[in-house]
Amino acid sequence: MTVVLNQITKSFGAAKVLHELDLEVHEGEFLVLLGASGSGKSTALRMIAGLESVTGGSISIDGRDVTNELPKNRNVAMVFQSYALYPHKTVGENIGYPLKIARLGKSEIEDQVRDVADQVQLTDYLDRYPRQLSGGQRQRVALARAMVRRPAVFLMDEPLSNLDAKLRGHMRAELKHMQQQLGITTIYVTHDQVEAMTLAHRVALLEMGKLQQLASPKSIYDDPETLFVAQFIGSPPMNVAKGSLDGGVFALGDDRIGTGKSLSSPDAVLGLRAEDCRVVEAGAGKIRAKLYANELIGDHTLVTAETASGMFSIKAEKEFDAPMNAAIGIDFDPEKLYLFDGSSGARMR
Amino acid sequence: MAERTLMERLFEPAQIGHMPVGTKIVVYSLLLFWTAFVLFPIYWVFITSFKSAVDVNSGPVYLPFIDFKPSLHAWKELFVFDWEDTLKAYTNSIIISLFATALSVLIGSMAAYALARIEYAPKFGSILIFVLSMIAAFVGVGVYGVDWRLACAVAVAVFFFLIKALGRFYAARLGNGDILFWMISQRILAPVVVVVPIYMMFQSVGLLDTHLAIILTYAVVNLPIVIWLMYDFFKSIPIELEESAQLDGATRLLTFFDIVLPLSKAGLAATTLLVMILAWNEYLLALFLSTSKAQTMPILVAAMNAGERGILWWNMSVVIVVMIIPVVVMAIILQRFIAKGMLLGAVKG
Repeated sequence: MTVVLNQITKSFGAAKVLHELDLEVHEGEFLVLLGASGSGKSTALRMIAGLESVTGGSISIDGRDVTNELPKNRNVAMVFQSYALYPHKTVGENIGYPLKIARLGKSEIEDQVRDVADQVQLTDYLDRYPRQLSGGQRQRVALARAMVRRPAVFLMDEPLSNLDAKLRGHMRAELKHMQQQLGITTIYVTHDQVEAMTLAHRVALLEMGKLQQLASPKSIYDDPETLFVAQFIGSPPMNVAKGSLDGGVFALGDDRIGTGKSLSSPDAVLGLRAEDCRVVEAGAGKIRAKLYANELIGDHTLVTAETASGMFSIKAEKEFDAPMNAAIGIDFDPEKLYLFDGSSGARMR
Repeated sequence: MAERTLMERLFEPAQIGHMPVGTKIVVYSLLLFWTAFVLFPIYWVFITSFKSAVDVNSGPVYLPFIDFKPSLHAWKELFVFDWEDTLKAYTNSIIISLFATALSVLIGSMAAYALARIEYAPKFGSILIFVLSMIAAFVGVGVYGVDWRLACAVAVAVFFFLIKALGRFYAARLGNGDILFWMISQRILAPVVVVVPIYMMFQSVGLLDTHLAIILTYAVVNLPIVIWLMYDFFKSIPIELEESAQLDGATRLLTFFDIVLPLSKAGLAATTLLVMILAWNEYLLALFLSTSKAQTMPILVAAMNAGERGILWWNMSVVIVVMIIPVVVMAIILQRFIAKGMLLGAVKG
């Protein structure tokens, strides 16, 4: 089912937390709303769920305007960050609750509950209470409860952020597999860019209640439209250096870098991904730097180097080793660099 | 290991997690002292009820069968000769405290739930206008002899006219916190202050010395306590549980009965017990509102020290002993609901 947000705004008193958000979620799509806390992503999700009123604009699900529809009439299911399991009901009763409200027969409920419980490996736990389960199991109960009624849309509000790192990775894969198998349109809120990159068909990056970019994970990574997007996505974050552009030559301290583009601006920002940089001998390369720290990550060494305009992170060979404070050079392919306007943050092409 | 001094051996644990001997002695003697302090009056009342007049008046005696010979004369007097008076007061007390508690908990918890979950923002100016038009109506009826129906109609009309006309000139609003404090402030006032107006009110409607008058008064007097306690309790139920139920398709009413009520059992039980004890022991209001038919137990107890035969300690003790019994029974019944950990597993990971 499709979900369409049309010029959605939300204000709490004088504070506007969501600015004219336009969003179209396709049938069966996994869309991730990504943003820092306070970016309005959770508010947007809660508005789709009907838990928050809409200040302006309209929301439609499957072509039906639901802007002023009660949550129960929207046919959406939500997984909360806190799971929101009913503590006085068993796992089975928790999962079957939406069906019980829909007045399905007892045996029918039991069959369907058993069915979903199988899918999320909870069959042996149906008679337990939520307090007797581990975090990951509670997470799966919440998921099963959302799945059991085959909703038009899944809404997920940071469902993995209460889990420890190892379990989170495991559940992420499980979630992706499940969504693909069920083919149900999913809107997923997170502040974790790794979750966004790995799960999403498309990522909508929000900041201060405004949509920054809506694109596939690959293009949001390779082709960020603003400096904010470029720095938000990627780990380590994109290296940036302030400088000036004159006829396509970027001035970074005493270094002059040819960008291959005929652009000029007195206030520009150069961006470079860590994996696009190479550490070379002092004097060689395009940027002069001083080695600040080496960190062996496992499959590579993360080198932090001090340049005339702040620190640069560089992914180097795992065998890389050099003394601290050694003079080095940073080299890269000019094709791989990004240029942004210094004041607006807009991409310069 | 160094030799331990006596103080160290007494007050420092030999092993982590163990209580040292000296500490143990201090702690248990304090506990023992306090237990005796609390239980002795009850013991004293109990044995006094079996004492004869001589035993009471000839100085303290402590142990039945050793110090004095227990007799049932006081019990006989109350349950055989004054049977009807005792039974009447007893049933009055039970009826009044049960109904007053039920009414108070029912209305109070609904009010508390509304305050915990709905944002109210009445304008301060509108409240002021309402109070002023009410005062005007009272003055009109009381001083100038205007027909009360006319006065009410005019007051309501004036109120609506004024808030329409003046409403946009004031903006200050009150919030839920102010409403809650207003409720509590009703309890700050000493009952002595309002007992005369209450008396006159019930006199004018001919309800003096009836169950209804005392029930209504007790219910109103205890309402602030119920609201205060239950507000805190409802606040502590995670709102995600109710939101989740709404998304699962439940109506507001169903959410309340299916989710909120079962989770509030402990709070309701504690509040019920407290309010019931307050109503059971109340003296001042009962003294004013009942003369004979609706007399409650505390009045009966107090009457014991006003007879022409002097203070009848033994009879009073009998009444006190039977008066304690229902409270103990209620405490035992409700105690199992006041278990901790009801909300465990709801939202925490």
